Amino acid sequence: MAGALRDRVSETTHYHFPPSAAYRLNRCLYALKSDRDFAERFVADARAATEAMGLSDGERADLLRLDRDALVGRGAHPYLVFMAGLRLKMLREPSAMEYF
Amino acid sequence: MCGPENTLRAGLKSRASCARVALMLVGAFAVAHTPQLLIRPETEDRELVLRVHAAMRRVKTRLVDMKPDAVAMVAGDHVEAFFLDAVPALAVYVGRECAGTFGPYRYRLAIHEPLARSIVEQGIERGFDLLYTQDAPLDYAFYVPLHFVMPEPAVPIVPLHVNVYLPPQPTPARCYAWGAALGEILRARPERVALIASGGMSHFPGTDRYASPEFDYDRGLLEALGAGRGREMARLTGEELDKRGNIELRTWITLLGAVGDAPADVYCYEPSWHHGNAVVEWPVR
Repeated sequence: MAGALRDRVSETTHYHFPPSAAYRLNRCLYALKSDRDFAERFVADARAATEAMGLSDGERADLLRLDRDALVGRGAHPYLVFMAGLRLKMLREPSAMEYF
Repeated sequence: MCGPENTLRAGLKSRASCARVALMLVGAFAVAHTPQLLIRPETEDRELVLRVHAAMRRVKTRLVDMKPDAVAMVAGDHVEAFFLDAVPALAVYVGRECAGTFGPYRYRLAIHEPLARSIVEQGIERGFDLLYTQDAPLDYAFYVPLHFVMPEPAVPIVPLHVNVYLPPQPTPARCYAWGAALGEILRARPERVALIASGGMSHFPGTDRYASPEFDYDRGLLEALGAGRGREMARLTGEELDKRGNIELRTWITLLGAVGDAPADVYCYEPSWHHGNAVVEWPVR
């Protein structure tokens, strides 16, 4: 019964349980989304900003390209990928936005 | 309309002179919070955004008329206050104030601390193991609706978090039960409280479904809610919400626990290329 319940809960289509193997990757996306200083350093020099984030070479390469499908495939949370991208756009092109 | 530099501030001045009535839940609404309503990139249809703003202004007008002492807002933190270090299913902000940022927007809002504390204490008494925080940042999911609907001067709030983004989330049945308990707690309080659910409807941020939400599913939900069948939402499954882009419906379902089968008045349903934006009111009794 417990096993069946666990399987049932994990049957999501879009937003899955975040694997701990992707913790550092998600931590980095979270920083891009929520830590403005880090996001500004990323915009200035993405390679240098991600130097000490503990990512694998593959994770880092996908992050530098913000390759959504590759990042999600590695266990990145889709919302974090989405909002990290939007926040970077807000930083890079602030005048392209209308503020209410 | 407030600008990015605006700070919503509210005192805790009581309305002691108001007549006390038995039921102090004075209003119930659901309001979309998609960030493109606050900061519009060129990808978004300006006229659509303005139509959602108009529906939110109706909520503001209603709130002005209701003269609430506090706004209790149910929203799902978007991995802002609660990252993977600690993932609460349900949380209550219990402090003097709360604050957050979103892009150039910096906001700071007073919390109705006696009400917030009462919700935590009575919620736990009723069997809901609530996390509480006196310092967590406040996500834009709380701020965006308040930016548009908060009366002036602002009234204090009680932010109520429901986990919608980090699986496993609380079940719809649990959200409904928590909302029912919350409704009982609010109705027994002396303050006049308006309850707002933030978020929804169908959207799939960060997935290959982003440009194809389930608008027909949303319309079916709104039809059921308009017919006073809110209780049915408690029987939805987490899998279905995930499949239909409606993981945030948990905030609405929490509110439905408090308002029951009251028929919804749908102010607007505006499907953008990626998001079903709805603004809804429920009568309370």
